[in-house]
This record gives sequence, structure tokens and C-alpha cells, in this order.
Amino acid sequence: MIRLACLALVLVTATAHAGPLRLRADALATTASPAGLLVLEADSPTVTSSLANLRAEAVVWIAGSQTPGEDQVGDVLVIAVDARDAKGRARARLGRFVSTLGALRATHVDGGLLRLSLPQRFEVEAVGGVPVMPGLATSRSFDWLAGGRASRRFGFGGSVGVAYAQRRDAGQLATEELGIDAGYAFNRRSDVGARFAYDLANPGIAEIAATGSLRDEETRTEVYVIHRVASHLLPANSLFSVLGDVPSTRGGTLLTWKAAPRLDLIMDLGIRRIADADSGINDVGVEVAGRARLRLDARGTNMLGAELRRGGVGDSAWLGARGTARIKLPHALTLASELELVRPDDARRGSLWPWALVAASWQRGEWSAALATEASASAEYRHRFDVLVQLARTWGMK
Amino acid sequence: MKRAAVVLVCVTLAACAGILGLRDRKRDTTFPHRPHVISGVTCTKCHAGVTKGGAELHLPDDATCTTSGCHTKPHDSRSCTGCHGSPTAVVDLMAAREHLIFDHGKHLGQTSGNCMRCHDAVATGKGPMRPPMATCFRCHDDLEKARRCDGCHKDLVEEGTLPASHLAHDGDWIREHGIRASSSGDLCETCHKQSFCASCHGATAPALPADRRFADPFRATIHRAGFSGRHALEARSDPGACTTCHTPDRCMTCHVAKGVGDMTSGNHNPHPAGWVGLAASDNLHGREARRDPASCASCHGGAGEMLCVKCHAVGGVGGTPHPPGWSSAQPLYSMPCRLCHPVGSR
Repeated sequence: MIRLACLALVLVTATAHAGPLRLRADALATTASPAGLLVLEADSPTVTSSLANLRAEAVVWIAGSQTPGEDQVGDVLVIAVDARDAKGRARARLGRFVSTLGALRATHVDGGLLRLSLPQRFEVEAVGGVPVMPGLATSRSFDWLAGGRASRRFGFGGSVGVAYAQRRDAGQLATEELGIDAGYAFNRRSDVGARFAYDLANPGIAEIAATGSLRDEETRTEVYVIHRVASHLLPANSLFSVLGDVPSTRGGTLLTWKAAPRLDLIMDLGIRRIADADSGINDVGVEVAGRARLRLDARGTNMLGAELRRGGVGDSAWLGARGTARIKLPHALTLASELELVRPDDARRGSLWPWALVAASWQRGEWSAALATEASASAEYRHRFDVLVQLARTWGMK
Repeated sequence: MKRAAVVLVCVTLAACAGILGLRDRKRDTTFPHRPHVISGVTCTKCHAGVTKGGAELHLPDDATCTTSGCHTKPHDSRSCTGCHGSPTAVVDLMAAREHLIFDHGKHLGQTSGNCMRCHDAVATGKGPMRPPMATCFRCHDDLEKARRCDGCHKDLVEEGTLPASHLAHDGDWIREHGIRASSSGDLCETCHKQSFCASCHGATAPALPADRRFADPFRATIHRAGFSGRHALEARSDPGACTTCHTPDRCMTCHVAKGVGDMTSGNHNPHPAGWVGLAASDNLHGREARRDPASCASCHGGAGEMLCVKCHAVGGVGGTPHPPGWSSAQPLYSMPCRLCHPVGSR
């Protein structure tokens, strides 16, 4: 599989464009699993002709040693060729990519996409293919995904669309959803967006999300609501999808204030409710987060950050604090640190979960390297210490 | 003593003003274009050669000010634009030349030589002189309708410009991006390649961006910092959020690898007493499974589902797991219905 992927990577990128490719090789080694990881990224610049624009990209990875519980040592993340006619009226994509059809959930597929712009600013797109499974799955049969979306645009930032997709795993209906999405920018200072997904396999609302924001020079106020029904987000061929509706709803407002040219303050005030009368479930909690970010120079190369957060509902609530720092040192070195302290409300899980990372990185020209140590203690591990090393090289990128 | 305290406070405030960038803001004065225009100075008198286009910046230097017969006796020996102009003007202009497809020469004919048709900030005397995109769209409405950024921007990724108005990546963009991308996916694709989406949404992603870019703590990525330690709390607090990206298989793969819920290897049962039983008080699992079904599926997915069927099949002691009024469009012979509803049963 890896050999095939590497061959395809070379072929696709070499045939799509004769000019310089953008390449990146990224090697990561950690004392945790996977112990070693090599990621190769290739991206061809857009080839423009009088008829069409063409672009190709690919990302493949190889693990130095197997991740416990997983049997593959490498895979393809993306390998896709994009073609677009010169006027941007038609667009096609072939390969392995992430399909995003409006309000429907994003799906990683091996297949194709076709998008056409019609008169009166209407647009249609269709996606078809096989949902991606990790590793080389030779025993798969009759797994496929097909869907489409029709939309109409308004202004530069406005659009409303309807999408439908069906996915089958081994011939069994896994998901069948209908989605409606909308977005509109009233002007440069205010906009709204919304998405709605309806589960047709087990009829019921799967997800509703909406946001609206208002901004001026120094502040932005966003109001949002998210309503999800977990059982409808599971595949319809899972036994757990028959348990019915217990929705989780979160609403709130997020305020962003550029308090000073180098200081950003963010406050997120929200309420979450997980309730269902039939089951007697009624968990309500206040979720609050306050963040500050201070740039120590005009470009933000040196920066300090702090965050205080109260999250979760019921016995899953927790209080957390986080601090971050990034300081530029001489000789192209950068020192970064991150510290997080979490205190769960449920003391049975532990009283305090600390997590800390200290990293030093170096970047010069096309080379970059980083070394970090990470230490933590939580309900997952009583204590844990890891060392991370990264080496990267780019070609053809500025 | 009081005087020392006052001095200390003043020094502290001055230092804070410097750290917060307030001193820079005071210095950040745009060039006074308006008074020059009012006094009859034409644009090309200072920006000579701008009509011909080319790679030059066409910014006036001190000699332009002093030898043009205007400011023959400067009040200061320092550079004029050092104070009378934005300190970032040159850098901004060079960046624009590098990243934008634009030629003044081609536009002057369209505007009849009137620079203020586009540079209307000259009239107000406020804000940067580079026109906003809305000004471009007054004429280039075809690009606006087609939502084609590459009509003007050579390469938005290299340019590194974030959206300034709608789709601005402010606040909690990780939460907000899904809603915005639903209706504006084509705009997202002008900057973000497939590898960007797949790095989180890809079923074959080897490691999340937070793990691969561990040396940059300010990179906005999901599952930052000690997420793995608190993921159970986050998943339980927001049921369904995990399955918007992950399949339940992903949870199970990791849980089995770490011995969580792997009963076959002799590990302990993670559930509390009273989790499953015949008495009503002994059935915490039913309530919890309805509240967060993905959590159950993360260990009991696939073959593990048969554990449920033992009691909840038609005629079983567990009774129906469906809530009142539950219905499905699926035929009883399909999965998962047929696990509990054998042929002939209802």
C-alpha cells in the first residue's frame, strides 16, 4: 500500500505540473506511540492554461513502528487532483479527500467530486466514492457514499444550500442525512451562519448549529447555539443508534476584545443542557472560558497566553487553567512552554491533573527542528513523561 | 517616599504602555494626505511614476518634500516619513506588490486619473490608503459573483492574510468553522488545501496537528495540551461531538490497545456497582447509554454489541431499549434491527 501510494504520489505530482513542486518531509519521534512518524507532503502549484487550472496534492505517512492495537505502518492521508475550468464554472476532484457537503458531516472518501456553477448564481455539486478506512482493507464489499448539494449564492459571503448523502457499509445503510446550510454577510461588520442536519435513517434531528456575529474595530460579539443528538450521529447500523433522542444543547456568547494593540481578551459564556424527560436526565451546567493573549512585539513572535476555563456538566464538570509562552532566542532558536492544570469536580478521578510541555525549536531556511519534553498526570496515567523530537525540511516553499 | 511611589507608578505605566503596544498606536499616524490634496498637491507630484506601474514603490522620499518647493525649511533634521506616516507603510506596500495582481497604470484609465475613486480614505484622512476589497468589487463584480480570490491574490497561503470581515478567524474558530464552512466551503478552499481538512477529519490521520506541531503552543488546534487526560470528561459533557469527526471504531482501537474495557485480557470492569441488574435500581447503564451512546460504542462497538442483545432481544429480560414513541424507517431485517428482532417477531 505504501509503495503504491509513494508511486502514485510521484506520478500525480510529476504529471500535473512540470514546474517546481512544494514538498515537505516531516519526521517525528516520540517515546510514546507511534515511536516514529515520517510524513511526506507534496503540493503542485496551480497550473494555469487558457482552458483549465490544475493542482495536485498528496500526503502520505509511514510509522517507524506499529502503533499498539493498529496493524498498519503507513497510509495515505490525501492524494487528490483538482481541475477547474479557467472561468471557475466547473470544478472536479479525483482521489482521496475530505468530502464536505454543506451541513452534512465531513467524510474522508476515495472517489470523485464535481461542482458546477449554473446561471442565476446557482451551484450544484455531487460526491461519490468509498469511505476511507484506515489500512489496506481487502475484505470490504459494497461500501460506498453518494451525495449532492444544490445551493444559491447571495453577495460575496452569502449562500443557502440543501444537501443529501447516503452511506452504506457492507451494503447496510450506515447514514442517510439531509442538510440545510445558510450563511450571509449583511456588511463588513455583521454576519450569520447556520446548519441543520436531519437523520433520515432513524428519523430525527441530528444537529442544529447557528452563529451570528457583530464586530467593530476592537471588539467582536458572537452569539451561538449548538444542538446535537448523539444517537443520530452514530452510524444507523450501530445498536446504540436505537436508544433515542437525548440532545445536548449549548448556547452562549463569545466576546473578543482587542484591549490594546498587543493584547487580545476573549470571554466565552455558555450554558449546556443535556436533558430528556423519558430518561429523567437533566444535566445543566455553565461553561465559561476566559483567555488573554499578549504579544510582546509587533509581529507576535514573542507571546504570552493565559486561559481559565470551567467546562462540563454534572459529574463531568471540571475547572482548568492554562498558560503558554513563546520566546525568541538568538541563533534562530525559539523556546515555548505550555502548562495546564485541571481539577475535576468528581474527586474519584483525581484531585489535580497537571500537564506541562517545554519545547525548543530551531528554524533556518528550509530546515526546522524541535525538541520537547512533556509530563502529565491524570486519570489516564498516574504519571507520564515523554520526549518528542521533530525534524522537517521543505523544498520549493518560501 | 510619595514622590518615589509616583515615579514608580509612572515608570510601571510607561512600561505597560510599551508592552501593550499603546506607544506604537500613538506613533501609528497615517500620512496627512487630506491637507496636501486640499492645498492643491496632485497625487503624482509626490508619487511620481505611479501611472507607469512597475516594481517600484513610488513612495516620496525626503528630497521630494524639500525640493518640490513646498517644505523648503523642514522643522526637523530627521526623515519626514519617520514621523509623518505609518511605520509599516513600506512593509505593507512591499507585501501588497508581492502578493497582489495589480497595476496602477491599467486602473488610471478606468478612473479617469482620479486616484480618490479608489483611495477614498484620502478624503477622510483616516485609515490605511489601500482600498478595501469592497472597493475593488465595485467594478470587478464578476470576481465577487464567482467568489474567485485568485483574480487578485496570487497565493493566499503564502500571503498569510486571514479573512478580515466575514469568516474572520477570531474567537473560538475551531467551534465556529464547521458552521461557516457549511455554506462557504468554496471560500475556505481558496486558502486551505485538502491536507488541512484531512489533518483532523481524515480517517487515516497519523497524528493530530497539535501533536505534529507541538513546539508552537499558540497554534489553534483541537485536542491541545492535556486533552488525552480529560477526553472522557469532554466526551461525556458534549455527547455527539466526538462522532462528528471520529467513528466509534477509533475509540475502540485505542481503548483495546490500552486495556480499557478489554475484558478478555483479564482487566477490571470499569463500571460501578449496580451498573447492570434485574432490579430497577441496578440499571444505571440504561440511563448512561441513552445519555451518551457514543461512549458505550467506544468499547462495545462491533462484536461487543452482542452483549446488549443478550438481554434486550425481543422477549429478553432487558425489555425494549427504545424510548416511547421511537420509530425507524429501517426494515426489521436490516442491521441492527435484526439482532433483536428475529424474523417473524415485532
